Amino acid sequence: MTETLTSERYLQMLRQGAARLEAHRTAINDLNVFPIPDGDTGDNMHMTLCGGTAAPATGGLGETARAASQGMLLGARGNSGVILSRFFAGIAKGLDGVRTADPQAFCLALDEGVRSAYGAVSDPVEGTMLTVLREGVAHAEGATYEAAFKAMIEEMKASLDRTPELLPVLKDAGVVDSGGAGVLCIMEGMLDALEGRLSEASAPAVATSRPAADLDRFGPDSELTFGYCTEFLLRLQTAKVGDPEQFDVTQVREWLDRVGESVVCFREGSIVKVHVHTRTPGDILSHAQRWGEFLTVKIENMTLQHSGVTIRNPFSPTRAVEAATPVAAAPEEPFTQRQRRYAVVAVASGEGLIQAFRDAGVEEVIEGGQTMNPSAADFLAAFDRAQAGTLFVFPNNSNILLTARQAASLYDKAEVIVLPSKDVGAGYLAAASVDRSCKDPAGIRTAAEAAIASAVTVHVSRANRNARMDGVTVHEGDFIAYGHDRILCACARRHEAALQAVQALSIADHDVALVFRGQDPPAEEAEQLVSELQARCPRTEVILSEGGQPIHDYIITLC
Amino acid sequence: MLTLFTDTDTDFTPRVAAEYGFKLISMPYSIDGETFFPYQGYDEFDFHAFYDRLRGGVLPTTSALGEDAYLRCFEPEFAAGNDILYIHFSAAMTMTFQSMDKALAILKEKYPERKFYGIDTKGITIVSYLITRELGDRLKAGMSAEEAVAWAAKEVDNFSQYFFADDLKFFRRSGRVGGLAATMGGLIGLRPVIHMSQAGKMESLGTVKGRVQVMERLVKYVEDYGDEIKAHRFIIGHTDAPELARQLAGMLQERFGTDLEIEFVCTNPTAGSHCGPNGVGIAFHSKGRLQ
Repeated sequence: MTETLTSERYLQMLRQGAARLEAHRTAINDLNVFPIPDGDTGDNMHMTLCGGTAAPATGGLGETARAASQGMLLGARGNSGVILSRFFAGIAKGLDGVRTADPQAFCLALDEGVRSAYGAVSDPVEGTMLTVLREGVAHAEGATYEAAFKAMIEEMKASLDRTPELLPVLKDAGVVDSGGAGVLCIMEGMLDALEGRLSEASAPAVATSRPAADLDRFGPDSELTFGYCTEFLLRLQTAKVGDPEQFDVTQVREWLDRVGESVVCFREGSIVKVHVHTRTPGDILSHAQRWGEFLTVKIENMTLQHSGVTIRNPFSPTRAVEAATPVAAAPEEPFTQRQRRYAVVAVASGEGLIQAFRDAGVEEVIEGGQTMNPSAADFLAAFDRAQAGTLFVFPNNSNILLTARQAASLYDKAEVIVLPSKDVGAGYLAAASVDRSCKDPAGIRTAAEAAIASAVTVHVSRANRNARMDGVTVHEGDFIAYGHDRILCACARRHEAALQAVQALSIADHDVALVFRGQDPPAEEAEQLVSELQARCPRTEVILSEGGQPIHDYIITLC
Repeated sequence: MLTLFTDTDTDFTPRVAAEYGFKLISMPYSIDGETFFPYQGYDEFDFHAFYDRLRGGVLPTTSALGEDAYLRCFEPEFAAGNDILYIHFSAAMTMTFQSMDKALAILKEKYPERKFYGIDTKGITIVSYLITRELGDRLKAGMSAEEAVAWAAKEVDNFSQYFFADDLKFFRRSGRVGGLAATMGGLIGLRPVIHMSQAGKMESLGTVKGRVQVMERLVKYVEDYGDEIKAHRFIIGHTDAPELARQLAGMLQERFGTDLEIEFVCTNPTAGSHCGPNGVGIAFHSKGRLQ
């Protein structure tokens, strides 16, 4: 029976939570409201949680909980991931300064976690993982951890079963809330750890449904464009720095800021955790060795991480020289001297769509979307690459909006304005409208918000199960068109679904229709669709773009 | 004798120039470091092929003529005892005419008795085409050079030009339009509407969303500012967008009557290098140009 929680045991619980989540992530992905194969809640929550499991188990429980929550904040993907990271950040806040905790203290920290999770969203919705967390945590009590977790999990199960009653959209789809299922799974995994049922620790690299890195992307003649993502744990050595507990990690962070990008650096006891993007990882490692010795080192060529995306070189020649220069001689280049006034950062998937955003003047395109949510750390790296005084960020997906806002709240090198673009069509429209000659960022923001508000987007996708939603009967294999979070129609033919949907949304009332062809429909079919739309609505300009996006055969935005 | 000159930036082709006896000064453009002089050594230009290259991503540049080019054009005429009337595109848009002034200063020393008459159409492409045509008609009918200059001083500002572009990247590169928003609006059906100002410069009048809507805006300008439009030529110019041009003509004739005679012109490649393909514009007699 566990009556006192240590940092080691807490990390073990987190890892076991991640392991159990990994085992169930596909089932959680499938708890998707819309009957199309784009659910990714399991993936997002798992990758977020794994961001925290690498925290060092040194120092007290409070320090470990804080380190784990920092990792999760950076690794957060999707709305469920952001809420999860905030939940654990609240727990860390509740455990601040303690070396160990009894069940009562931990339950109070769980309460803090719930408050923090609710604070992550401006308009909390009941019937989601927030409800499951709140109702479960309210029942977490007992003389031992096992008892408290069992009581909490029991209530979470009941709460999860009630989610369809609270959210009609879940009931219509015949599913429970996927985020709620995810937190239940995590808590069950944490209980497994408490009761000694341990399995091999989960690691994000094997858990993601992202494609494996394509090693051919960096060949014998390739140029090092993006540098290396370099991470290590450094054990401070008394012989080198004196008392590790007195070591000021600020000097390491400031040095990394000068020689690299996207720096994360913190000390837990005698261990320093470092994450940095650099062209010369060898220099970084050699320099770091003056303070200690390595426990783990991970170096990845970021060209492989950016598979399929064309991103401007983040390392200017000046920057590269600096990184290679001995630190003592490296002049600090003020960030402002490298800046442009504005830059636009957008999220998109599909070769054509990514290119369309770049053609529209977007400085940084983060590859991602409904089934591949970027993390807060991905946003932070893009913010660094953009190097502007004011950044306008278009997440282009309601499930990425919170992550973008979380990244913005963590970034202090520029003003970051996150625009509420919930689909790629509205985001493209608004991003292409950004007037860089405008002196007032507020003016750009207002114009972008107006462009987003004026856009109506229809998505056409193939259904992967039978369903009855919004008064529409869907058969597996049908093509469904949906917009404004509701299904507009289901048809056996793809282009018929598109035609019916835009008619339902009064295409003739709009001046322009942007049609992005996905990766599946043939070009002739898309051209035929555009001709028919143009013929039916001669006053509406119908513009066809090669989107190449997955999942959505057509994305049609009316404006 | 009086020798008439105009330049290719007025959209005059060798065929139209021959109607009036104009000599044509070719204004150059460059692609990938190679400079081209429209109609030098040939009479027909393949507009579609040129604009297709722009659609394919080519971004041409243009350059001013040097004073030696003007010496080569004008000196033989002065040497033969002829005076010159040159109806040209807007001097406010180029350094070309500073070269011309230097050349004329040299020639004035050499041929002090010869006269040079210059008429600035304060425009480029179709409005210059329209004014040059109107003057050509009058010169053909016997108007003298002095009378032509006096007519132009009074009438040039009464010919207006409005047009829209499809892709701002060409204008952004040239920097020749005032007040143009730095957006990529063309990709989303948002087109800038531009006019030729009284100062002879291109100025933005804002943007219009939608192809039909932007053409309706052009029709509205004719409604608001047109004056005796049927008593003068009415020109639609386009950068390889004949279908749009015909659609606009239909809208104009629907509004102003089928007796509105419209002449279609394809925009010369030098000016087209700044506008890009798929743009359409109108030039007509008006109550006056906007500021």
